[in-house]
Amino acid sequence: MAEPGFEITRESGHTIVRLSGNWTLTHLNSAPTLNSIDGPCLVDGSNLAGLDTSGAHRLMSMLRQSGARLENVQTRAMSPSVLQVWTLVADHQRLTEGVKSEKPQGLLYQIGLGAVEALQHLFGVTAFIGRVFTEWLSLFRKPAAFRIKEFTAQLEVVFVYAIPITIAMIFLLGVVFAYLLGVQAQKFGANIFVVDGVSAAVLREISPVIVAILVAGRSGAAITAQLGTMKVNEEIDALSVLGLSPYVVLVLPRILALLLAMPLLVFLGDIAGLLGGMLIAKSQLGIEFSQFWDRLDSVLKMQTLLLGLLKAPVFAVFIGLIACRMGLSVSRDARSVGVNTTSTVVQSIVAVIVLNAIFAVVFADVPI
Amino acid sequence: MSENVIEVDNIVTRLAGAVVHDGISLNIEKGKVTALIGGSGTGKSVLLKEIIGLLRPQSGKIRLFGEDVWAVDEARLMALRRRFGVLFQDGALFSSLTVEQNVALPLREHTRLPPAECLELARLKIAMAGLPVSAGSKMPSELSGGMRKRAALARALALDPELLFLDEPTSGLDPISARAFDRLIRLLSDSLGLTVFLVTHDLDTLLSMVDKIIVLAHGKVLGQGSVEDLKEIDDPWLQDYFSSRYSEEPV
Repeated sequence: MAEPGFEITRESGHTIVRLSGNWTLTHLNSAPTLNSIDGPCLVDGSNLAGLDTSGAHRLMSMLRQSGARLENVQTRAMSPSVLQVWTLVADHQRLTEGVKSEKPQGLLYQIGLGAVEALQHLFGVTAFIGRVFTEWLSLFRKPAAFRIKEFTAQLEVVFVYAIPITIAMIFLLGVVFAYLLGVQAQKFGANIFVVDGVSAAVLREISPVIVAILVAGRSGAAITAQLGTMKVNEEIDALSVLGLSPYVVLVLPRILALLLAMPLLVFLGDIAGLLGGMLIAKSQLGIEFSQFWDRLDSVLKMQTLLLGLLKAPVFAVFIGLIACRMGLSVSRDARSVGVNTTSTVVQSIVAVIVLNAIFAVVFADVPI
Repeated sequence: MSENVIEVDNIVTRLAGAVVHDGISLNIEKGKVTALIGGSGTGKSVLLKEIIGLLRPQSGKIRLFGEDVWAVDEARLMALRRRFGVLFQDGALFSSLTVEQNVALPLREHTRLPPAECLELARLKIAMAGLPVSAGSKMPSELSGGMRKRAALARALALDPELLFLDEPTSGLDPISARAFDRLIRLLSDSLGLTVFLVTHDLDTLLSMVDKIIVLAHGKVLGQGSVEDLKEIDDPWLQDYFSSRYSEEPV
């Protein structure tokens, strides 16, 4: 089919733009330019094969750029259907004139916006924690309101299904840590001290922190995505209208499930990590399982185990609060669900690392 | 004799074991506004999805612009899809893009126009859909339901389609916005020579702007024609449907 084209003639004071070919979207390519037009202008459609809104728009932009005023442009020899398209576009193009794309705001604006958002975030977090706490207190007055089914279902998801991956991860970390320590210990002929090192590291740091990061990535993200999607579907509003508190029905069971699941996972992780260490101690350093066990019995202090298990519920509460808050603060679009889910994982992991550092300082006196 | 834009021939569809369509045949003429009606669960939206190539029927043929939708290769199907626009029920605007970017997206992907012209064209389509130009820079979540439908219409019109599919265009709109939307569709259909195929429940839409109505029931085409033609058909659902607008009068 014919490419869009035009030729210009002058006829008794008028500039005639004689169109030819298909002025339709699929045929529009490079933009031809018109020389400047002065005086009245007439668009002739006798040779025109087709015109759609995109073609009409291109034509009108060309005419405008050449200095013609659209109000003064007349048409002739256009078929009724072409004329209708022409009029429709001419009517609506006027509305779009002078619209500018919004300019990106300056640095100062961005800093201000960031500060305001940070402040709002802080208020939001405070209000959320307060709300969760009061709803939790209200459960003591009405224990029957507690959703035991939701709680057990959540426990299954965050605890039972997380067992295989937790054991696998921490077992491998125990293996790697024991290997590294073993290489050093061998140099001094102090093979047996691998037991001291592995047990302290796994129980006090590796297991609680890795389990927390695992739970943040696994369950934290799932909680935010689920609550966020429920928010988008107005399910949260529906709960409130039915006289049910979303906090009691959704938030508390999730936080409490995490609270119970995390110490259990950490304990399983402790065992897996020690098993990994035992395996390497035997194969690399020739420490028999019984020797490893005796040494463990004499050097491992109860406080080390308890300190590791104490961290778990603290991490759990932070992960649960962050995940639920980010889920409930989703706005009503799909993008927001993604943004908040990412944010949950990032915030949770940062919180876990920072909290772990605080634990290290506060409990520096606990002998390893 | 006018040519047919859509030809549906003996379609059979089974979804999860249930027969949805049991031999459906219909034709949509060029330049006409045709409405598909039927009770809930009669497979109106399913048929729409089959015609636009999103869901494969178990048997039967669907020809769009003379080409078999389910026999052509991927490239031909994409070329076919450039010739029609679809307005989804809830708009289906991309929530991470502004309205302008939503409308400009098909232009950027499928044409070689410079970005600035794509944006200008997008603004023209937004104005044609009856939205204020200021709506262009807003995010879809900031729009009301009616505005979202108009924005989605602007996106459906972006590539200057010959055929427009509308899935329940007036659902969720108040009666005034719904009638305004009907008039807009009719105006665009008349002035752009668009063929429009819509699925609807809205009796007022049928009475005000539709050239031809096709009724689906029990997996078959129950009847087609104007409102007057359909009132002649002896079917309980259809009779209830047409009498529903009078039953709301005060007792």
